[in-house]
Amino acid sequence: MNDRLDEAIELLKTPPAVSVEARVMAEVRRMSLPAPKRRVVTWPRVAMLALAAGLAAILLVPRPPRPLPGDPGQGVAQFVGHFPGARSVEVVGSFNNWSRGILHLRDDDHDGIWHAVAMLPAGQHEYMFVVDGERWVTDPLAGRFVDDGFGAGRENSVLIVRPAVQP
Amino acid sequence: MTRACFVVLVALVPGTVGAAQGTGATKLAGRVPSQAIPAIDSLIAVAVAESLPTEPLVQKALEGSAKGIPTDRLVTGVRRTLGQLREARVLVARALPQQPPPEGHVAAVAAALARGLPAPIAERMLTMAPADAPEPALHAAADLVAHRFNPDSAADLLVEAHAMGLRGVRLLDVATAADQELQRQGGRTPSDALARVRAMLPNVPAPKVAAKP
Repeated sequence: MNDRLDEAIELLKTPPAVSVEARVMAEVRRMSLPAPKRRVVTWPRVAMLALAAGLAAILLVPRPPRPLPGDPGQGVAQFVGHFPGARSVEVVGSFNNWSRGILHLRDDDHDGIWHAVAMLPAGQHEYMFVVDGERWVTDPLAGRFVDDGFGAGRENSVLIVRPAVQP
Repeated sequence: MTRACFVVLVALVPGTVGAAQGTGATKLAGRVPSQAIPAIDSLIAVAVAESLPTEPLVQKALEGSAKGIPTDRLVTGVRRTLGQLREARVLVARALPQQPPPEGHVAAVAAALARGLPAPIAERMLTMAPADAPEPALHAAADLVAHRFNPDSAADLLVEAHAMGLRGVRLLDVATAADQELQRQGGRTPSDALARVRAMLPNVPAPKVAAKP
């Protein structure tokens, strides 16, 4: 009895001549499945991919606007004009892309002296006052003027905003 | 994958080529009369091709449109600005031959020339401090010339101030001081005013901070 039991144990310890795994793999090979096509990565493709990725990075990643030389920040600009009887006065210039309705002067005490204070980018700006929504007026207090170049002899006022924090 | 790369490149490359023009066109759309836009776009394209700054052209177009300038005069104004930028670029290239003319320098010089600063004085201001931003020196010189100081004497004063350590907007203080000396009671001549400011260098007064009106 014990001899038979020992014989059975020895038999279990002996590995089979052909394992189950080997038999399965042999069966798979026998089915002759088509081998997956190998993707060949060639250098021109790599270069194209790198170029495309580089361009995408350059164009799609948002970049901060490049400051102009000598334009490290913003500064305070003050506008004052004497327009007695005016209903509205605004400043339109290169600092607001010559857009109307952005920077209005005020005359709270109705003495005809209109004023506004604004933070603008440091550097040079050209501007004019627009009185009552239709009359373009050069700021006589600006001290700096430049022909506006449209042939009617009209001048823009020139404002130089100093940076609030000196570089 | 090659096809995918090609699609990406086709989508992106025209974007880079048209980026400079697109910036102007985007700003002009809806702001400038549609009949003026083709002519202005072509002027902007010329500026891009000549490596000139385009923002002054865009600003001039927006300005003309805001002021209600007729289309033909608006385009003429933009074309005139392009001419000023070309002139400025030549001047910057001559003054700073070691480097390609920076767009900021070109725009600053064009603005100063438009204010009436003689070209040789603008050139002196550039060569005075080639590593500095040129705007303050150019404006200081333009301020002095606008107030009828002799251009060469004005430039001499600014060069001296720079040599004594005044930089940036402090050069504007030199011009302001000269103008204040000229306006003092007693009737100083421009050369007297410049001499007095020269004597106080480098201690020209800084501008007073204006109180809110």
